Amino acid sequence: MKKTNCARGPISRRRRSIGMQLVLALMILPLAMAPSAFGQERFPDRTITMVAPFPPGGVADLTARPVAAAMERILKSPVVVVNKTGAAGAVGMSYVANSKPDGYTVLMALSSISIIPEADKLFDRKPAYTMDQLLPIALISADPTVFVVNAERPWKSVKEFVAEAKKRPGEISFSSSGVYGTLHMATEMLAHAAGIKLKHIPYGGAGPALTAILGGHVDTLASGPAVVIPHIKSGKLRPLAGWGAKRVASLPDLATFKELGYDIEFYIWAGVFAPRGTSQPVLKKLRDTARQAVNDPEFKSAMEKLQTPVAYMDAPEFQKFWDKDAKMLADAIKRMGKIEIKEAK
Amino acid sequence: MLETLQNLYLGFSVALSPVVLLYAFVGCIIGTLVGVLPGVGPLAGISLLLPVSFGLDATSAVVLLAGIYYGAMYGGSTTSILMRIPGEAASVMTCIDGYAMTRKGRGGPALAIAAVGSYIAGTASVVGLMFLAPPLARFALRFGPPEYLALLVLGLLVLAFMSGGSMLKSLSMAALGLLFGMIGIDPMTGFFRFHYGLVELGDGIGVVPVAVGLFGLSEILLTAGQEKPPEVIKPRLRELLPSRQEWRDSTWPIARGTLLGFLIGIIPGSAHIISSFVSYAVERRLSKHPERFGQGAVEGVAGPESANNSATSGAFVPMLALGVPSGPIPAVMLAAMMVHGISPGPLLIQQQPELFWGFIASMYVGNVVLLILNLPLVGLFVNVLRIPYPLLYPAILVFCVLGVYAVNGSVVDVGIMSAMGALGYGLRKFDFETAPIVLGLVLAPMIEMSFRQSLSMSSGSYTIFFHRPISLVLLLVALGFILLSLRTLFTKVAEWRRKLGLEGEAETKEPGNV
Repeated sequence: MKKTNCARGPISRRRRSIGMQLVLALMILPLAMAPSAFGQERFPDRTITMVAPFPPGGVADLTARPVAAAMERILKSPVVVVNKTGAAGAVGMSYVANSKPDGYTVLMALSSISIIPEADKLFDRKPAYTMDQLLPIALISADPTVFVVNAERPWKSVKEFVAEAKKRPGEISFSSSGVYGTLHMATEMLAHAAGIKLKHIPYGGAGPALTAILGGHVDTLASGPAVVIPHIKSGKLRPLAGWGAKRVASLPDLATFKELGYDIEFYIWAGVFAPRGTSQPVLKKLRDTARQAVNDPEFKSAMEKLQTPVAYMDAPEFQKFWDKDAKMLADAIKRMGKIEIKEAK
Repeated sequence: MLETLQNLYLGFSVALSPVVLLYAFVGCIIGTLVGVLPGVGPLAGISLLLPVSFGLDATSAVVLLAGIYYGAMYGGSTTSILMRIPGEAASVMTCIDGYAMTRKGRGGPALAIAAVGSYIAGTASVVGLMFLAPPLARFALRFGPPEYLALLVLGLLVLAFMSGGSMLKSLSMAALGLLFGMIGIDPMTGFFRFHYGLVELGDGIGVVPVAVGLFGLSEILLTAGQEKPPEVIKPRLRELLPSRQEWRDSTWPIARGTLLGFLIGIIPGSAHIISSFVSYAVERRLSKHPERFGQGAVEGVAGPESANNSATSGAFVPMLALGVPSGPIPAVMLAAMMVHGISPGPLLIQQQPELFWGFIASMYVGNVVLLILNLPLVGLFVNVLRIPYPLLYPAILVFCVLGVYAVNGSVVDVGIMSAMGALGYGLRKFDFETAPIVLGLVLAPMIEMSFRQSLSMSSGSYTIFFHRPISLVLLLVALGFILLSLRTLFTKVAEWRRKLGLEGEAETKEPGNV
């Protein structure tokens, strides 16, 4: 019995998920991947793998799934999401950066794609990958982070908060998803722009960081809007401002930092990349598919449910956006420097 | 109370609807399979099935995923007991006495006790979840880094009670485990430690490859090294059920394990893994015959298995009551809800009563399903032991490699497992116990993180651990444990001196006689 059980066991991630689907075969047909029987000479003639460098349930994964499903419908050829996780995304990103540039391996990356090479530089490490190993295909979503404080804290506005932080430098704390992670970057940028010093308590992921502020163990947090809105509604968290160029649709009363006179902008964005060296026709096909995918009604409704705004940009535009974003992050990392040195002073 | 019953009625009307019932059933089966496969734990199982759940409605999706979670906790014991391979990290402790029972021909009873203990723990903790979720969840949120550290210190002290062998040996093994836990990114500065150019080591060494290597592979290697092949155990039908004595011995361990697991489970973080370690240590400590532990004590199976099952329900408390992603698995389940347009949060119970109460009721149903599923399977699983070793062990080896590879799709993990297999073989040749290594590896990153977070919070002042009531109480309990173990040390010394004194007298007398 043991043997028959295990005969369905793992051979690879994908095969196993097929095995699992066999178990569920009749119920979950939409996800079953039937190999398409289209012409061999055209792209794609086999399964495209979309690597999400973070675990299932994270932003990269949750964005990749509907994109892949829409691309699959458009290409009439399977597009499979594979989670290749580890080292804050570095494992999956370097996997795609170093894979064969044939268009069959693409990447769904987040803003942190620009952070890891900079951090590697900072620590004199052999870089896991460099940014010029990857070509942007399309920007899919960009969610401005919002700045929330625990509702038991007295600050009702950014002005009050900054005034207090100036009085007590390094005493007001913030949690983050991890050191040099996106949420850490966002708050550090605010601290730099406002000329204040805050106390950083890194956690292992956005979930624990949220738990920490809800429990009152830290004072503030920068976070994607969707996960904090229920807690804002229940009165546990108070939003002070948003990092977007425009206000967050679901929080229309919340001012942006730009409106308040701080020249900072920060988004948790998700975009599709391919390894450099991918041929032009294949790139064009991928770009066209992505453009159609973001207009796919099912994709739109999936993103609506996730409360993540679609912010499509085609490759040239996305490249500019990425360059600007990467430069901003690189500057921030250089400014922050090695954390240990800062603490030693 | 009446309202709760009405709600529960609503819940059962959801949970017993054919579709939801079907998904609970499917979830339980997949969970059992996931648990049985070496290496593949509940997190990997849920993660793989998450995309499949997108096609379902929210209640079915959550019921399916939860079924996998607690189903895996049932299934995890099977390979631990029969083959000494931990199906997932939480069943490491079950390997020790469960496998010893199998070697004594009591594999069937061990499996049955594990299933019944899991059932009782699962059901009792759902009752706790139902009545106590909101207040408990608020309490659980008060566990910040200092409280967490204090809890982990307690967990570390458990080591002292864990093994029956030499204290020096088990502490040195724990130290080795803690050292392994140092590998990976420094959580506060982003430095890579001991990664030797492997990006995969950035996250540190996973518990699963280490546990499978240290327990499973080493056992296979040791068996291969024996001069005579071990006898094939042919289980007889009437030996499948536990004896009256075994039932009696298991009652209290199951009750204590349930309570302990639930309490540890509600605390946000990954502490639920230690629930089975703590339960094992408690049972050994309370037992009148601690020397039986490691030799096939049924308490060593009943306690930890109950604890890891009720910890799963405990983990749902902050998730359902407050919408807090209280651990990696609840985080995946929250993602599943968000995909269906439900914002998990403190208002979930009011806004989505069908979901909440349907979920609760489905857990009652799921536990019954698992019991019905698992008890007859005991007879089936035990028959695996009839397979001759030359066939069985290579097959197990293959499954170990596949299972460990599948979790992250990483060859590095397979390498770690092989190295740990060799290490475990060597250590066991020299009579070292390997469980403390696993516990050390589990605890080290958590201890480091919470310790450094606490000190960051207090700007470097150690008083933070004593200013906060929960952490103070936990640390005092820990101190009590230390004093208690010191007392036994003192009595031992006194006894030893007395013995020595007597012997001395005897010796001095002897020449006189001559």
